[in-house]
Amino acid sequence: MTDEPNDGDLKMVMAVVRPDKLGDVKQALAETGAPSLTVTNVSGRGSQPAKKGQWRGEEYTVDLHQKVKVECVVADIPAQDVVDAIADAAQTGEPGDGKIFVLPVEGAHQVRTGKAGQDAV
Amino acid sequence: MTLELLGDFALQLSPGAVANGVNYVWILVVCFLIFFMQPGFALLESGQVRAKNVGNVLMKNMTDWTLGTLVFFVLGAAVSGLVAQLTAPGTAFDLMGAFGYMSSTGGAGWVDWFFGAVFAMTAATIVSGAVAGRMKFSAYVFVAVAMTAVIYPAVTGMTWGGGLLSGSGFIGDALNVGYLDFAGATVVHMVGGLAGLVGAKMVGPRAGRFDSSGESQPIPGHSMLLAVLGTLFLAFGWYGFNVGTQATVLAAGDGAVTFQGAALGRVVLNTTLGMGAGAVAAMLVSAGWQGKPDPLWAANGLLAGLVAVTGAVPHVTWWGGLILGGLAGALVLPTYRWVVDSLKIDDVCGVFAVHGSAGAIGTILIPVFAYQSGGVAILGDTWGFGGGTQLAMQVIGVAVIGIWTVVATAIAFKLADVIFGLRVSETEEDVGLDEAEHGVSVYPEFVAGGSREGPTVSTDGSGVSGGTQDD
Repeated sequence: MTDEPNDGDLKMVMAVVRPDKLGDVKQALAETGAPSLTVTNVSGRGSQPAKKGQWRGEEYTVDLHQKVKVECVVADIPAQDVVDAIADAAQTGEPGDGKIFVLPVEGAHQVRTGKAGQDAV
Repeated sequence: MTLELLGDFALQLSPGAVANGVNYVWILVVCFLIFFMQPGFALLESGQVRAKNVGNVLMKNMTDWTLGTLVFFVLGAAVSGLVAQLTAPGTAFDLMGAFGYMSSTGGAGWVDWFFGAVFAMTAATIVSGAVAGRMKFSAYVFVAVAMTAVIYPAVTGMTWGGGLLSGSGFIGDALNVGYLDFAGATVVHMVGGLAGLVGAKMVGPRAGRFDSSGESQPIPGHSMLLAVLGTLFLAFGWYGFNVGTQATVLAAGDGAVTFQGAALGRVVLNTTLGMGAGAVAAMLVSAGWQGKPDPLWAANGLLAGLVAVTGAVPHVTWWGGLILGGLAGALVLPTYRWVVDSLKIDDVCGVFAVHGSAGAIGTILIPVFAYQSGGVAILGDTWGFGGGTQLAMQVIGVAVIGIWTVVATAIAFKLADVIFGLRVSETEEDVGLDEAEHGVSVYPEFVAGGSREGPTVSTDGSGVSGGTQDD
C-alpha cells in the first residue's frame, strides 16, 4: 500500500508563482506527467517587499503583488514530484518567487464520464 | 435700406480676399482634424501592447506631438527649407530665408507652418508603435527629436518644398517631371513606417517574441477594442489629411469665386474607396489565411488602404483608388508575416506593413491608374497612362526617400544607443515600462490603505508598523 504514490490518496498541489513563470511551470508539469491544472490570477503578500506606486506624484503602497495560482490534483504522480517540478521551474532566487502547498483531497468526480476517485483525475 | 447696405457690401467684396479667407479657414479646420489623428495613434498603439506598457506608449505619443511641435518650429521647418534650396538648381542658399516663417507676423505664414507641423508629427508618432515594449524612453525622445528636426523635414524639402524630387529640383528638372505624392503616402507614412522598421530591428525583439529556435511567438495586445477605435479615429482624421491637402476650396478670378467641387470630390471619393477596399481586402485575406475574418487585420487593412491612396487621391480614377486601396489591404497580412517570419523583426504594431510598403506601392502606381481629362472613358471616369517618365520618377522618388530614411534613422538610433542605450534591462522589460520608466500603473488594482487610515502591516508579515498619523 505504501508503494503507491500519494499512499493511494488524491493530493492537490497549490502553488502561487510569478505570472511570467507560468509558461515554465506548465512545461515542467507536462514533463512530470501531470499536465492538468487550473490557473487563477491572484494578488497576495508574502516575503516580497511592498512596491511604491505613484499617482500625480503622491506615493501609495502596493503590498499585494500580482501572482498566479496553479492548482494541480494528482493521483498516480507523487505530489512531491509535482512540488519539485514547480519549485524548479518557478525559482528566480529573488523574494516573491511564491509558495507551494500540498493538500489532501477527499474525493473527485469527472463530469463527462462520471468516474470517481483516482480514476477521475 | 437694408438691401441697399447689403448691395454696397457685396460690391466691396474682393473675390481674392474671400477665396483666401475661406481657404485658410478650411486649412485650419483640416489641421485640427489631422491633429485628431494623435489620439487615434495613441489608442491604436495602446491596444496592441500589453497592459504593463500602455503608459509608456501614451507618454511617447504625447512627447511626439508636444516636443515635436517645438522642435519643428525652432528647427525642423527651416531644415526643410534649407534642403529644398540645396537640392534645386538655381536656388541661392539663404539661411535667414529658411527661418523666415518664424517672423511671419503679417501674413498667414504661421498657419502654413502649422499645416506643415501636423503632418510632421504624424510621421514622428508612427515610429513609437514599432519599438513599443522595450525601448528606453530617453533614447526614444532623442529619436523623436531627430525625426522632427532632420529626418522628416529633409524629405519634405526634397518634395513639397521644391527640392530634389520636385519639378524644380535636380532630379525633377533633369527628367522634366515632378514626383507625385499628394498628401504624403511616402513623404509622411513610408518615412514613419520605414523608420519604425529600422528602429524595431536595431532595438531588437521583445523578450519572448521569438523562441530559442527563432520561431515567432505571439504576444497579444491587451485591448482590441482600443486598437479598432483608434483606427476609426485615425480614419476620421485622415479626411483632414487627404481632403485638406486639397487646400484650395474657392478659386478667385474674373470678379467671382468658384467652388472647386470636382477636385475636392475626387479626393474625398478616392480616400473613402481606398479605405473601404483596404479593409474588405484585408478581411478576406485574413479569412483565407486564418480561417476567420480578423478585426485587427481588417483595421490594419483599412489604414493600409488609406495610406496607399494618400499620395494618389487627386491623380487617379475612382476605380484606380479602389484598386490601390484593395491591393494595400490585401498585402498587409502577408507583408507583416514576412517582416516577422523572414526578417525576424518585432514590429509590434505592424507599422511597416501598414504605413511603409502600402505607401510605396500606392505612390509608385499613380501613373498606371492616372486620371486624365479627355482620356479613355472607363466606368464613368477618364483614364490615361501617366507616362513612363512619370513612372520612373515615382520609383526614383520612393527609392531616394526610402534610402534617406533608412540611413538617417539608423544613424539616429545608433547615436541614441551610444548616448542612452536603446533598451531597458531584462528586469525592467519584465515588470513593464510603465513601472520601470515612468513609475506608474495604468490599471492599478489593489491599493493598500486607500482612504482608511490605520497601521500598516509590514510586508514580510513580521509585525505592524506606522500609526494612524500616517498621511
